[in-house]
Amino acid sequence: MANVIVKRVQEFLKRFPPFSFLKPSDLELVASQVEVQFLAKEEILFKKNEAARPHFYILKEGQIGLYDQNEIKDYCDEGDVFGVLALLGKRPYIYEAKVEVDSLVYSIPVSVFEEILEKNSKVALYFAAGFASGQVVVRQDLSTGQKARGVLKKDNQDHSLLIFSDPSQIQFSERVIHIDLNATVQEAAQKMASESVSSIVVCGENQIPLGIITDKDLRSKVVAQALPLNTKVDHVMSSPVITKKKDAGFSDLYLSMIKNRLHHLILTEDGSPNSPICGILSDHDVLLSMGNSPAVLIHALLNTEMVSEMKSIRDRAETMLKYYLENEVSMDFVASVLTEINDVIIQQAVKIAQNKLSEEFPQMKSIRFVFLCLGSEGREEQLLRTDLDNAILYEDVPKELEKIAADYFLQLGTEVVEILLACGFSPCPGEIMASNPKWNQPLSRWKKYFSDWILTPTPEALLRASIFYDFRPIAGFNGLSEELSLHVYENIQKKKGFLSYLGQNAFLSPPPLGFFKDFIVEKSQEHRDQFDIKARAMMPLTDLARLLILSYGVVGINNTFKRFEKLCELEPQNAQLFTQAGKAYEILMRMRALEGLENQNNGRYIRPENMGKLQRQLLKSTFAPISELQEIVRIRFQLDLLRS
Amino acid sequence: MSWWPFSKKKEDSRTFVQEFLEQSKVKTPGIRSIQQLSFVVLDTETTGLNPAKDHILSFGAVKIEEGKIRINSSLELYPESDREIGKSAEIHGITQRPETISQEEFSRTLLPYLGNSILVGQHIHFDKSMLEKITGIPSFPNPMIDTANFALRLEKGPQANWNHVNSKDYSLDQLCERYGIQTEDRHTASGDAFLTAQLFLKLLKIAQSKGIQTYGELIKS
Repeated sequence: MANVIVKRVQEFLKRFPPFSFLKPSDLELVASQVEVQFLAKEEILFKKNEAARPHFYILKEGQIGLYDQNEIKDYCDEGDVFGVLALLGKRPYIYEAKVEVDSLVYSIPVSVFEEILEKNSKVALYFAAGFASGQVVVRQDLSTGQKARGVLKKDNQDHSLLIFSDPSQIQFSERVIHIDLNATVQEAAQKMASESVSSIVVCGENQIPLGIITDKDLRSKVVAQALPLNTKVDHVMSSPVITKKKDAGFSDLYLSMIKNRLHHLILTEDGSPNSPICGILSDHDVLLSMGNSPAVLIHALLNTEMVSEMKSIRDRAETMLKYYLENEVSMDFVASVLTEINDVIIQQAVKIAQNKLSEEFPQMKSIRFVFLCLGSEGREEQLLRTDLDNAILYEDVPKELEKIAADYFLQLGTEVVEILLACGFSPCPGEIMASNPKWNQPLSRWKKYFSDWILTPTPEALLRASIFYDFRPIAGFNGLSEELSLHVYENIQKKKGFLSYLGQNAFLSPPPLGFFKDFIVEKSQEHRDQFDIKARAMMPLTDLARLLILSYGVVGINNTFKRFEKLCELEPQNAQLFTQAGKAYEILMRMRALEGLENQNNGRYIRPENMGKLQRQLLKSTFAPISELQEIVRIRFQLDLLRS
Repeated sequence: MSWWPFSKKKEDSRTFVQEFLEQSKVKTPGIRSIQQLSFVVLDTETTGLNPAKDHILSFGAVKIEEGKIRINSSLELYPESDREIGKSAEIHGITQRPETISQEEFSRTLLPYLGNSILVGQHIHFDKSMLEKITGIPSFPNPMIDTANFALRLEKGPQANWNHVNSKDYSLDQLCERYGIQTEDRHTASGDAFLTAQLFLKLLKIAQSKGIQTYGELIKS
């Protein structure tokens, strides 16, 4: 029988999830291992980047602030669980925990809890559902819910560290560009240029490496010194070379590059400089093998025009995305990174398509155009490779060129869309893509489209609004897109009533909760009993944000949560609501992306019965700002008048 | 503890008492920091307030090590008593006691648990007398801290005198209230020991903020 002290601790823990899910015997076990400490105001419990302790915390009383570089991220109050990374990932703390008022803190050893995680699916679900998290877990309000998500799986390790134990992932070129010792620097440079490499190995007999010449050598030793082009390569090469055996471990190879400040490491048959070369490892290869950092992926994308490689890099971005989502990386950052990666892919696709068509259409080279992304990618919110929505806008051309321009840009658009599909994006079911002649038009035509939509807002036109009004230039000449933006805003200013019609859009989808405070699920056969998170929760928020931001004539902010941020500034009296709405949107984005990654689909349909109670609550809590905003919009844009 | 099953029979009460007294001969250096000290925070419920006549009904304790209350060190014991339950038990609401152990068994468990830790308690000297009586040790060698006294000195300074304050202000209930410690369900030995431990952690923090950092300074205060 547990003694009174253990029982007291137990009684406290029982009141808060995840402890509330534990069987009494497990709870007793956990309670009996608790350590209690008292911290005075201003004390630091743990620091950012400090290695995780073998326990996590629940606040018994007081208040603790979580800071990132002096910026407050969250406050923990009684019953809040924090420092959970130690439990789940054994990763360093991402925030600093500072005591705001004298606090009593319970530490719970990770070792006790790990066993429970394994056998108690509710607790596991609680963590999996994202309530345990980066730092804070569980409070019903959005600010925490948003952070309250995390990693459960133990196999989720930092990939950039993992690489050191997994040499199979390094790829280096086995084909080494080399040149004879008797060659001239000009010959070396020519060969480097034709092979588009940044270094060349100078070889003696039997391909024994004698030296290496890099771009830098040509710059600093040849051009800067004004050496004649017929200078022999042995005069400028770096020698002797440092070599390693081909099948040496990755860390060995990498360390010798670091130690010797090498950009290129030559690999030979037996590892000595006296055996034939069989490969070369560049720091670019190393960087790539380090994998999942945005900089590496973007760098890699910029350096390839092979569609298959672009796809595999985008696949890797997905792994990185999952890692970010599970690790409570801020949605702002996640969305920006993924947007950047998507943008680079589109830019590369446009470049590839242009090159392919350049010979056939020489006269089109000077015609300016812009490739626009619409919908979620236009809003910089596309995390998964969901539907493509894009368009091409080109400058008005003289009458005689009209036909050929239409032909060229349609081919260009089709080419780009095909590349994007090959990269794993899904086609737009509504054919709103640059491969559709309707959405591949000169500026004057685009202006007319928008004028018409604004002047006569048919239901169809309004439905399109949610896609078309969020256009964003990705590749080509941005000025065209700006001109179109200006046109749109001028037209809206002229016809203010349009906003009221647009406002109706935000009411098209019924509220997400039914009479019995339960989720409205789909009735259609295919998605029966599933909750459409996109249509029911995300689109209303997107529509509301767009409507309000358009009503202020703010140009250039496409992102939904950034729009809400801007609205906070514009309407301080509603700042709290807008903040909540922005957070709700971030939560929904994260939920949908995780759902999509989990099921390898677009994450749009969620089965409420498969969700944990807490996750359902979190989802429900995102609805509150929707209905409040709808109310504001209803009054502000006098929507009732329109309806009657 | 010995793995040799027969040695237990030979061991008389003296042996573990000797071991206990032996342990206490190791003196803690005065400069040791408070964080490094081991405390046992304890409380007893008794049949009455007279150590000469009354008996321990229950004993509760928990250790503080490295500044943390270690719940897994909590100990709760109910020694046999040959005396009728007295007035004090009514206050404490002890009418039915869980399984009891012999006084010898009690001492045998208690003394190794205490070791040479610093004993902490609300009016610890009363508990000390009761424990001395039940264990048959004439005088406990452990250093002791009375939380009531500790609080008084922290609040009124080292020269404070009990004659100048209302001692009721330094009851466990009053102290807990003053230092913001929730006191639902009081009056079990373990429960009070746990409250006292929390109070003591807070007092230690205040002491440290007043410059009391070491064992020497703590005992002096």
